[in-house]
Amino acid sequence: MLNKIYDWVDERLDITPIWRDIADHEVPEHVNPAHHFSAFVYCFGGLTFFVTVIQILSGMFLTMYYVPDIENAWNSVYYLQNEVAFGEIVRGMHHWGASLVIVMMFLHTLRVFFTGSYKKPRELNWMVGVGIFGIMLGLGFTGYLLPWDMKALFATKVGIEIAASVPFIGGMIKTLLAGDEVILGAQTLTRFFAIHVFFLPAALFGLLAAHFILIRRQGISGPL
Amino acid sequence: MSNNKVTRRQFLSYTLTGVGGFMAAGMLMPMVRFAIDPVLQKKDGGDFVTTDVAVADITEEPTRVDFTFEQVDAWYTSEVTNTAWVYKSGDSIVALSPICKHLGCTVNWAGDAEYPDQFFCPCHEGRYEKNGKNVPGTPPLGPLDVFEVRESADGLLEIGMAVPNNLV
Amino acid sequence: MHRGKGLKFVGDSRVLHPSSRKKKGPKDYSEYPGKTEAFWPDFLLKEWLIGSVFLIGYLILTVSHPSPLERQADPTDTAYIPLPDWYFLFLYQLLKYQFASGPYNVIGAIVMPGIAFMALLLVPFLDTSKERRPFKRPLPTGFMLLAIASIIFLTWESVVNHDWEAAKAQGEIREEVSVEFDENSEGYQLYSTSSCIGCHGNAFEGGIGPTLVGTGRSAEEIYEIGKNGIASMPAGTYQGTDEELQVIAEFISTLEASE
Repeated sequence: MLNKIYDWVDERLDITPIWRDIADHEVPEHVNPAHHFSAFVYCFGGLTFFVTVIQILSGMFLTMYYVPDIENAWNSVYYLQNEVAFGEIVRGMHHWGASLVIVMMFLHTLRVFFTGSYKKPRELNWMVGVGIFGIMLGLGFTGYLLPWDMKALFATKVGIEIAASVPFIGGMIKTLLAGDEVILGAQTLTRFFAIHVFFLPAALFGLLAAHFILIRRQGISGPL
Repeated sequence: MSNNKVTRRQFLSYTLTGVGGFMAAGMLMPMVRFAIDPVLQKKDGGDFVTTDVAVADITEEPTRVDFTFEQVDAWYTSEVTNTAWVYKSGDSIVALSPICKHLGCTVNWAGDAEYPDQFFCPCHEGRYEKNGKNVPGTPPLGPLDVFEVRESADGLLEIGMAVPNNLV
Repeated sequence: MHRGKGLKFVGDSRVLHPSSRKKKGPKDYSEYPGKTEAFWPDFLLKEWLIGSVFLIGYLILTVSHPSPLERQADPTDTAYIPLPDWYFLFLYQLLKYQFASGPYNVIGAIVMPGIAFMALLLVPFLDTSKERRPFKRPLPTGFMLLAIASIIFLTWESVVNHDWEAAKAQGEIREEVSVEFDENSEGYQLYSTSSCIGCHGNAFEGGIGPTLVGTGRSAEEIYEIGKNGIASMPAGTYQGTDEELQVIAEFISTLEASE
């Protein structure tokens, strides 16, 4: 049955080569921890992606209860954490995943750096990767505000003041981020929500796709 | 049996599917349980709301009784006012829900001058008899719900949950 | 090997198989020496086994440490000392130093992180040698180690200089305690003019310190605490006379939450 459906689609879309491009290739010895244990450092990128997938999924589920509004944000987070079954776990996955993704990404970056894997011809992929790093930090910064608790508000105040210290355009950046020249409140929360849930993830998807396509085109860097 | 040897590749593929399934389940199980929680949450209904209508004052003519209660909707608590059509039927008190069983509009007693002893729904001209039975040939498919009622210690009407009509 | 159905599309942009691609650009995997392994299913299975172990650890972490939630944001609470998420701590600490704060704030907040980020972004163009081993290219390796060391050092400094107990207390979700008391009583007068009020609030609701309503302690015990301190409250925080402290202690011991 499944085979027939596959054949039907394949006959029309020729999907087998796409599948081959993704799955049908050889993995060289030097990145395989089964041959050299030290090759476990090559796992960090995959684990970063794994945590990212968990972040996307748990984030999608969290928005079923979360409200980006200063009156209700905290109450809805309190409710989903304490009243909804497994709410503590789903929020916990998102909370701890945010830290883990930074850790894994940091380790992945160091691996690429110290193996010199960013060198020709992989300069572009390195820059895409640094872009992903920046977006992840942005996601961490914007996500920190969303529960609208004490540390969220005051840490964001500091963060926005840092952005405001940019010469010349600092004031404008601050207003754009906070939605108001002085108040850090209702408009800030909705803005951060939109940035955290739509804008940055969209950019992240684009860069991740580029990252993976480049890896498949260029292959893994050779042994040292 | 021995003809159906599992190749190494097949074995690995099956194991791979198993491990993948384990990971997907580990990730998704808490999330799905989280998402379907509203279906599984126990309803602690059965609370009666005291109205300001004395049971002794209720006549056989359906009258509109508004009753207000505090509705807790997850993190949002609000005052909600509901309406019931209340009348005396023999010794017992009947409180009918005004929600039309057709598409959820609100019905009125004697809302149509042509049928002064029926409930009338203005949306699609649905009609119900006094006990809530839907008049055949009009849009509604079932009788109006009734509220559970009881009398408080000081003689006031108390209204509870809406239940399917048991008078028809 | 010919793949798929060999469909022809106008302006075919599909990725070609290495065998039909012109031999140039990066090497194919098979050109690396040694034991290669099929990605699907051999290698992926190993990856997913690692992933499963990782997931189990992750879930255990999640279950054993519920994610923190402080009380609802209150912009009027000026006593709150903010702290960013741990991976921004180094930046937070950097801005405490004199060369990176005050008139030089822009250096700590923009210039230094900006230079670091741009350097990271442009590494492939700064380090253009063919050499890949870290020990054979001392400059990039040295700078990176220096950067890591300073991030670790700054984070460490930030952590040891932060009062974590006070941080925990200042954000705690508190039951709304309200208490009725006579603002003109001698006890409240002394309380409000002493240093107590700074941490325990105008209406004893708490702040940096806990609430003083319904402590369940006797006047003597409260007097002792005022003298000798308790938990994160050091001895000698109260600076008035013993007689006044006695009045305050008696007053506080009578406070009970009103409902």
